[in-house]
Amino acid sequence: MAINLQKGQRIDIGLSNISVGLGWEPNDGTSAAFDLDASAFMIDDNRLIPEEGFFVFYGNQDSPDTALHHTGDDPTGGNSDGGDDETIMVDLTKVDPRVKEILFVVTIHDAISRRQNFGQVRDSYIRIVDNATSQEIAKYELGEDFSIETGVEFGRLYVKEGKWKFEASGKGYKEDLAFFLSKYFKGQIIK
Amino acid sequence: MAINLVKGQTIDLRKNDKGEEFDLSTVTVGLGWDVRQKKNEGGFFGKLFGGDKKEEEYDLDAVAMLLDSNGKVANLGRTVQTRDGRAMGLYESDVVFFNSMKHPSGHIWLTGDNRTGAGDGDDEQIIIKLDQLDQRYDKILFMVTIYQGRTNNQHFGMIENAFIRAVDRNGKEIARFSLSGDSTYNGMCSMTFAEIYRKDGAWKFRALGNPHQSDSFIDELKKLTYS
Repeated sequence: MAINLQKGQRIDIGLSNISVGLGWEPNDGTSAAFDLDASAFMIDDNRLIPEEGFFVFYGNQDSPDTALHHTGDDPTGGNSDGGDDETIMVDLTKVDPRVKEILFVVTIHDAISRRQNFGQVRDSYIRIVDNATSQEIAKYELGEDFSIETGVEFGRLYVKEGKWKFEASGKGYKEDLAFFLSKYFKGQIIK
Repeated sequence: MAINLVKGQTIDLRKNDKGEEFDLSTVTVGLGWDVRQKKNEGGFFGKLFGGDKKEEEYDLDAVAMLLDSNGKVANLGRTVQTRDGRAMGLYESDVVFFNSMKHPSGHIWLTGDNRTGAGDGDDEQIIIKLDQLDQRYDKILFMVTIYQGRTNNQHFGMIENAFIRAVDRNGKEIARFSLSGDSTYNGMCSMTFAEIYRKDGAWKFRALGNPHQSDSFIDELKKLTYS
């Protein structure tokens, strides 16, 4: 059974293998497809990614320490009928020691030019699953919780006293992926 | 340091954003780059002897490979002897490059080999008569290589204002893909820039920008041959 998290609720994760799954249904109308993207930022003590490769997204499917693997871009939501369309697999035993926190975000690609928001997308959710038991640890229904937004900070995994914990943040923004990237990366961003 | 968030966009070559038709009877793929000012390493004496403002020369080459429906380069042409007795491969093959500038069909050719990047705009062009191209060709892959980049310690991370673009018969720009000095391209001496391919009876253009360490297109070509 899923725990539907309150904002700021923390969960101890005595786990090492988890996955973050993003799912939605394709647009059955005639307008543009909905292209949701799941991304992860692996950040250090300075709250920055130590190297470019520690930003895991459709353009970089594996972190340099091999702790994170992104299954690839689904541009329409058609990968799975009812299940996860994009997944980020996390093996916490492999995380580079510089990385103190892993943040997960969901954004709608080209939301501004396509005039889209989560409220228009059918059955969209982001969830975090314990791979050992296949149990959902946390889940947000994007269309209900963030109907007018185009980007969501889902939550973060962080190390405390040598143990990984998960904190759901559930903050919605009317922003794109570049906005989130600019917080954790100070180099040039090509949009 | 740059992170590119652009997705591999495909552009239907028949229409632009405003729905205007492009004239695809001829498409020109242009490659351009700028000569980079070398940093003045001459110091005081260097200046004295006119040693500043040296320009570094790069020799970028545009290459087109014509692929069949299996995604392979079927015709590898033949090897010919040059006047100075060197053997030159891939002559009159399905690869259009500096040693074989005109495809045997006559419908795709390279306008010339620019060896320095001097001049504004396109430094090298490959012209394709898409509507004349034989049905057996399904895709054209465009690469750019830095000639002898490995030997000269040159790579895409150092080159300024490199771009590839596709232009229709009337000179309307269909798509443009730029690359400026970017650390992710450090050590990369060749790049698969873009592809034009048939889909549902129309030609489409996709910018790729996949860099490779090799300074020759032969390594990529080897993956695309039958033998």
